[in-house]
Amino acid sequence: MSLVAQLLPSANVLLDLSVSSKKRLFEQIGLLFENNHGLARNVVFDSLFARERLGSTGLGQEVAIPHGRIKGLKEALGAFVRLEQPVPFDAPDGQPVRLVFVLLVPEQATEKHLQILSELAQMFSDRALREQMTAAPDAESLHKLISTWQPDVPGQRRAVA
Amino acid sequence: MKIIILGAGQVGGSVAESLVSEQNDITVVDIDPPRLRALQDRLDLRTVTGSAAHPSVLAEAGADDADLLIAVTQSDETNLAACKIAARMFNIPRRVARVRATDFLNDERLLGAEGFEVDLSICPEQVLTEYIVKLIEFPEALQVLDFADGVVSLVAVRAYRGGPMVGHPVKEIRSHNPSIDTRIVAIFRRNHPIVPDGETLIEVDDEVFCLAASRDIRKVMRELRRMDRPVRRIMIAGGGNIGQRLARALERDYSVRVIEHNKRRCEMLAARVHEALVLNGDATDEELLVQEGIGDMDLFVAVTNNDENNIMSCLLAKRLGARRVVALINRRSYVDLLQSGEIDIAISPAQATIGKLLAHVRRGDVVAVHSLRRGAAEALEAVVHGDRESSKLVGKRVEDIDLPAGTTIGAVVRGDEVLMAHHDTVIEAEDHVIVFVADKKTLPRVEKLFQVGVRFL
Repeated sequence: MSLVAQLLPSANVLLDLSVSSKKRLFEQIGLLFENNHGLARNVVFDSLFARERLGSTGLGQEVAIPHGRIKGLKEALGAFVRLEQPVPFDAPDGQPVRLVFVLLVPEQATEKHLQILSELAQMFSDRALREQMTAAPDAESLHKLISTWQPDVPGQRRAVA
Repeated sequence: MKIIILGAGQVGGSVAESLVSEQNDITVVDIDPPRLRALQDRLDLRTVTGSAAHPSVLAEAGADDADLLIAVTQSDETNLAACKIAARMFNIPRRVARVRATDFLNDERLLGAEGFEVDLSICPEQVLTEYIVKLIEFPEALQVLDFADGVVSLVAVRAYRGGPMVGHPVKEIRSHNPSIDTRIVAIFRRNHPIVPDGETLIEVDDEVFCLAASRDIRKVMRELRRMDRPVRRIMIAGGGNIGQRLARALERDYSVRVIEHNKRRCEMLAARVHEALVLNGDATDEELLVQEGIGDMDLFVAVTNNDENNIMSCLLAKRLGARRVVALINRRSYVDLLQSGEIDIAISPAQATIGKLLAHVRRGDVVAVHSLRRGAAEALEAVVHGDRESSKLVGKRVEDIDLPAGTTIGAVVRGDEVLMAHHDTVIEAEDHVIVFVADKKTLPRVEKLFQVGVRFL
């Protein structure tokens, strides 16, 4: 099981959310973590925004992986959101963003958390997988796509995406 | 970034102007339709007419999606209320307000999270006062700007005929006096920027920008030009908000006279200053100026709220023998006309105060911005984050950094240490780097340099 799969409960997958901006997206994400995990929504919101200010977490290809440290959080948490309409994200390719994986980590981030980010970057670099994510009919199948995905073992050659 | 600006006056207008060119999505709110129309004719932005603190007006301006609110209407109260509403009802993550009355600034709780929720308050009058006081401390400079909490200064000086640096290459300024470290980051020659290398010869009338540790500034200036007599006598035209602040800031160290035409204002002012002399009269009245010894003045500063009066009284003061004259000029076209002519220094209030706002708008961890050369150039201080992998700067030598043309890394502040950047200086995480950007168009690329990569946690 990938590290990513371990931190994404199926309730944290939102499909075809309709928001008009990055700000609205982060508000909805704050709400999701408040409802599902009891985190204060504004703490999540502020943390994501503060990180975004240091540099966009847009990966390009309509994908972003916003993340932030949360004081008092014990274990890393994830959420996946597919947006109905893409929103501007200041991504390196200038394209708006549609697939969003949010990662929250404890204040004392560790090597493992960096590894999760690397896994996410690797997962989203797979074009076929991105297309499947965009086409997935419901949250359940999207969750399955992510939880069954296997990262490459370092040193092993992988097929070109 | 989506930005809402409340107030289309001098400050609001210039903020809008300097932000709109940078692919930000700007909406300006004002109660006065003609003002908005004038702005819209000139700039590509959206406007909303209405009272800036009303929730319905903010909603119409797009508060739901806004990343930043800049409240710079004439009224402190409106600005404060707007920030609170923006925070509570619309969750706008960052809020800046113009707050003039010091009453509001005396208690931190008032603007804090329990109060009006203002992230940054700006008082243009205070910023201008500090700006002018610096010019008085360093009479040789055209501009003196602080970085890293005052540890590093950027000074602009004009190279005069016969001055020690004219006709010499830039590198000699260092070799002259090895005990001080300074760096010439830019030269403006006939209004065009030149990126200097060691061999560049300095010409008469060049505007030279150099960076140095603040404690070395006097020594550096001595290398650059003959020192002027220190300022002792100052005459201030205009006893308004800025005039009063200036008089109070200067009266202990200098002999200060203030000319104010409004009798009641004079009385109020006289009660608030201690040493300064308050005179009732018109600053464009030749007889009054002569009578008050204008010919002996080291400095004449015109800070009334009327551009034309400031210009005329400065021209007159200069003709009557004042050594140096400084005019506050709101209208941009006037500033361009007058700077470096008869008027020694023309200060645009909007330009002098916009830096603080720009620091909030720039991407990356930018902590200070100074807008230079009427907004064409910019000097900024940014904090480097990340490691070799997530940062484009960490672990790199200055010479290996891919800087856009016209951009110079001038200095690095590391903890308490100030390092002038040399070609082999290696950038470390958490360094404060001071960069001079001669052409504003390259700013997005400079911002990119300071942004961390996606994998920065």
